[in-house]
Amino acid sequence: MKRLAASAMAAGLALPALLSAHITPPVILLSEREAVTRLLAGAKKFSVLEVRLTSQERKEIARQWNWKPAEDFQRFYLGRSEDGSLLGAVIFVTDFTIHGPIEVAVGLDPKGVVRGASVVECTEETYPWVKPLVDLDVEKWFAGQDCRAHCEAMKTGKIDTLHPMCHFYAEILASLVQKGSVLYEVGVTRRGSTH
Amino acid sequence: MFGWTLSRLPLSGKIYCTLFLAGIGLGALAAATQAATAVGVSPAQIRSSLAPDMPMTQMGHGEMSAEREIDIGEISNAAKVWIRTPLLIQTSHTHLFGQTLISGLLGLIFLFSALPDGRKGLILALPFAGTFLDIGGMWLTRFASPALAFLVFAGGALFAAGYCLIAAISVYELWFRKETIR
Repeated sequence: MKRLAASAMAAGLALPALLSAHITPPVILLSEREAVTRLLAGAKKFSVLEVRLTSQERKEIARQWNWKPAEDFQRFYLGRSEDGSLLGAVIFVTDFTIHGPIEVAVGLDPKGVVRGASVVECTEETYPWVKPLVDLDVEKWFAGQDCRAHCEAMKTGKIDTLHPMCHFYAEILASLVQKGSVLYEVGVTRRGSTH
Repeated sequence: MFGWTLSRLPLSGKIYCTLFLAGIGLGALAAATQAATAVGVSPAQIRSSLAPDMPMTQMGHGEMSAEREIDIGEISNAAKVWIRTPLLIQTSHTHLFGQTLISGLLGLIFLFSALPDGRKGLILALPFAGTFLDIGGMWLTRFASPALAFLVFAGGALFAAGYCLIAAISVYELWFRKETIR
């Protein structure tokens, strides 16, 4: 019985340790529609462009940007003016961090310059680190940047006062904006997929 | 088991078992609420969170791109959690460890039930079977057929049924069953 009791106690002690490794629940900050309408403000017509990256394109992304897209299927939402001219595109990009997924909607103009970026999803664990960034208008940080080459996350001095994990997540957001820009470059611009 | 039954446990043992069962029950309620709000519990809701993203265009096999004009209303306005493969891997490993450990501890308590061994074995297997069905159903929904989303709900229901049976029988035996001396 003593051995049994010791085993039960060991198992009982192991339980909280294992459950502490549990991914915390997701926090949805925006729906897809909200993100698209926000990042394609001014668009009168919308379309969806779906592309399947070729193995050559995936290799090119890996070679040039040192990153391989998890999926070859990519979806862009395109916004156009009344006369049909392209105003911009939105792509949703996700990173699976050790604290769970974080998803960003990246808005780009027809040339691939960032119009804005919105955090769509994080987790309860990352929310305290992501929320201050949202409060500091993270959406506008990237606007006007060509993130294909480099994406500057921290343009405001205010971020220096934040928790180091906020800095970490600011870098994650910047890398996601860059990934969105790269996917647009390879999947849309280089192919001439839009008209 | 080993001549011990739940009704013969000392008071401290009874308190431990009861509080553990209560805690797991509350945790299960919270988990069910979380699942219902983040994903949903109907097969259709589970399917929409787990099944692979279906093309919105008529992109045929072998086509490399397709475009279709849409109404803004066609884009989802739901605060929906879409469980992609990397998240499925994360979720699977944590849930398999966590739920199996919970099932194991529930089963450990239930081993001391006075029920006949066959019936006891059947009941304590339910949370394990529910866990395997739940997590297995997620993978099958994603990679075999979205129509198998009902397995996820069935797995959760089986886990809950197993817990309820174990908790109800155990609490009865712990506090209300009179030990008969043969």
